[in-house]
Amino acid sequence: METTHRLEWTLLATPLMAFLLVCLGFPAIVNLIYSVSDISFETLRSPEISGLGNFAAVLTDSGFWRANWFSLRFGLLTAILECLIGLGLAVFLAPLFKDRSWPIAILMLPLMVAPALMGLMYRLVLHEFAGPVPHYLWAWFGNSPAFLGPNSAFWTLIVVETLQWTPFAFLLFHMAYQAIPEELREAASIDGATGFARFWRIELPLMLPTLAAALLIRFIDGFRVFDNVYVLTGSGAGGSTTSLSIYIYEAFFKQAAIGKAVAASVILFAVSFAVLYGLNRLARRRRR
Amino acid sequence: MLNAIRWAVFALAAFAMNFPLIVTLVTSFKSAREISTNPGLWINAPTLENYATVLTVSDRLNIFLYLTNSFAVAAMGTLLAVALALPAAYAIVRGRFGEKTLLPLIVNLRAVPLVIFAIPIYMMFQFMGLLDTRLGLGLVMTIVNIPLVLIILVNAISDVPFELDEAAMIDGVSRTGILFKIVGPVCRPALVTSMIFGFITAWNEFLFGLMLTTSKAVPVTVGASFFFAASGGGVQWGVAAAVMMVGALPPMLLGLVMYRKISGTMMAGAVKG
Repeated sequence: METTHRLEWTLLATPLMAFLLVCLGFPAIVNLIYSVSDISFETLRSPEISGLGNFAAVLTDSGFWRANWFSLRFGLLTAILECLIGLGLAVFLAPLFKDRSWPIAILMLPLMVAPALMGLMYRLVLHEFAGPVPHYLWAWFGNSPAFLGPNSAFWTLIVVETLQWTPFAFLLFHMAYQAIPEELREAASIDGATGFARFWRIELPLMLPTLAAALLIRFIDGFRVFDNVYVLTGSGAGGSTTSLSIYIYEAFFKQAAIGKAVAASVILFAVSFAVLYGLNRLARRRRR
Repeated sequence: MLNAIRWAVFALAAFAMNFPLIVTLVTSFKSAREISTNPGLWINAPTLENYATVLTVSDRLNIFLYLTNSFAVAAMGTLLAVALALPAAYAIVRGRFGEKTLLPLIVNLRAVPLVIFAIPIYMMFQFMGLLDTRLGLGLVMTIVNIPLVLIILVNAISDVPFELDEAAMIDGVSRTGILFKIVGPVCRPALVTSMIFGFITAWNEFLFGLMLTTSKAVPVTVGASFFFAASGGGVQWGVAAAVMMVGALPPMLLGLVMYRKISGTMMAGAVKG
């Protein structure tokens, strides 16, 4: 295209680029500088470059690795559970959604609720005196576990996250399932593939790209979890539920360990960038 | 018979997923005395006193302030994101500008944990006096919303027939004119969808609200927890339940109105992401 057009296009995209440069580019640079500086709340404007001490402090902090481990397990487990349940519901319940869509509206309601509020709601649901779950467990079984205690907090959070975000996976699979051409199903039925065989041989392979996308999105969201975990257990439960996001937040706000928090941010940034870059290359190669 | 099982499974899934909402709704209509004797799912003597308490402004708690903050911040974060993304999306689709660099970069931004920008943004805001202001939080919500809004608009503009542009160009309309007079109006459904999506996302955001606000600009997701510690003693669960319902209602209503569009949008976001 001619240069005048090029200029026009550039001008149209400039506001967005300028905004991102200021609001994300500048913070990214600040992150990099602070991560190699000796920094405290008193010396914010005159950071002294001090080498890689902050990174060493983070990498030797067992809390950092525990937070990584929590985020990784949390992201993987919730992504797998949400996709399995979501896929099952979308396929098994598909006939119910043929002529009506209100059941879908009911299933996706949890997606509209702020995860922070959802977490607070579970504080009520699981409360030992005011909560219905312990109430009924006591009434029916004469016993109720400490849902947010050190031993069960992790699994309670897994259930909380899974119940709120399974609808997301469900919606994706529902759309993918509806997009499968009806002729394909009919042809499969004529060839004798019905029920589970049809699902396994025909429908599932066609939905694999959706499955991959859903797993990835849910893993990322689970890995960076903050809101519901923070309001439910904080870093409590013996530190067993500190996600990486909570680790960075607490290093900064609670311990005023700015250097450590920033170094952890830079590590997380580098890792997510590397992972995303790799995934993009993979996706591009597969498309070819 | 099989359909009866399907309905049963649906009812069970719907009940389990919406359980916290049901519990909170039920509890919000119970008096403090009833909650202590009857924590179950049944209401013996429904009362509106919890909502009356929530809606009473005291010197420490002001639900209207939190709701106004959430609304202002979500509206700004949505409108600004659309205003920035629409011309850029047009340049990306029609001019193939930054198709290989800018677009993937912004799309990937959706997958980056935003907490990594939280600390420098906090420091920047402190320096610029933007801490605890709606303007500051609105700017952050714009960042949060830009990736998905851009994806939606790029998809929408790709679907606009190029002949429309050509016809207008022959009539001597400028690029900007085409964008605002022709492509923009044609994309109105996508614009509405992206705005509703952005509004819900921004309304529900918590991390930056927690970090960047303390009193004046507190959004309702953060302000709701203030009610938990309101009375000094234990949590007043009826009041807490009422405030959670109030805070969760606006995005739920928007979602119910728009749910058909939302599933399509999620698909578009997932496929591109």
